[in-house]
Amino acid sequence: MNVVIVALGASVGAFVRNELTQASRKIKIDFPWMTLLINVIGSFILGLVTAKISDNALLLFLGTGLCGGFTTFGTFNFELSQLWFQKRYFRCFVYFCLSYLLGIFGFVCGIIL
Amino acid sequence: MKHLISFLAVFVGALFGGGFRYLIGLAFGGGSGFPFGTLFVNLTGAFCLPLLIHYLHDRFELSDGLVLSLSSGVLGAYTTFSTFTADVFRLFSGGEFVLLGLYLILSMVGGFLLALLGNYLAAFLAHREFWGNKKAD
Repeated sequence: MNVVIVALGASVGAFVRNELTQASRKIKIDFPWMTLLINVIGSFILGLVTAKISDNALLLFLGTGLCGGFTTFGTFNFELSQLWFQKRYFRCFVYFCLSYLLGIFGFVCGIIL
Repeated sequence: MKHLISFLAVFVGALFGGGFRYLIGLAFGGGSGFPFGTLFVNLTGAFCLPLLIHYLHDRFELSDGLVLSLSSGVLGAYTTFSTFTADVFRLFSGGEFVLLGLYLILSMVGGFLLALLGNYLAAFLAHREFWGNKKAD
C-alpha cells in the first residue's frame, strides 16, 4: 500500500516538474536555472513537510512521493555533464555549487520555518 | 492530444520510478543509518540518463514519447534531490560527521563522474556500432 502512495505522489511531482521544465525552454537563458529552482523549492517543501506533518501516509505521499519525484538528481547531473562537454566549466561549477548549497539551505529553511 | 500523451508518459513513468525508489530504500533498510538507498538510486540514475538520451534513443529508435517517459518520468522520479538534502540534514544533526562526509563526496563527486561516464559509454557504443556497420557494408 505504501508503495502505491509514494508512486502516486511521485507521479504528481514528476508531472509538475516536466511542465515547468518544458515551459522554461521558452526562455532562452544559457543556464539550467529551472532544474536548480525545482531542486531548491522541492528541498524546501520537503523540509516543511518533514517538520509539520506527522501522519505517516501523508508524509509518504507529500515527502517521499511528491517532493522526491518533483526534484531530480539524474537531470541535474546530466545538465552538469552537458555543460562540462560544452567546455563551459565555470557555469558547470556555479551550477554544481548553487544546487548543493541552496538545496541544503532550502531544506534547513523548511525545517526551521 | 499531444499534451495528453506527454502527460500520461511522464505520469505513468514516474509511478514506476517513484515506486522503485521507495522499494529500493526499503531493501537497503529504510530511513535510518547511512542512506544507501538514496545513494544507490541517485548514482545509478545519473549513469543511466545520458546512456538513454545519447545511445538507447537512437540505437533502438525509441519514440520521443517513450524517451520522455523514461527520462523525465521514470529516471526523474527514480532519482531525487530533496531526499538527498534531507539525508544530509539528518546525518548532520545526528552528529554522524564521518558518514556525512562520505555521503556528500560519494553523491556529489560520484554523481557527476557517473554522468560523465554514461556519456562516454554512450559515445563509445554508438561509435563502435557505427564503424562496425561500415565494415559490414
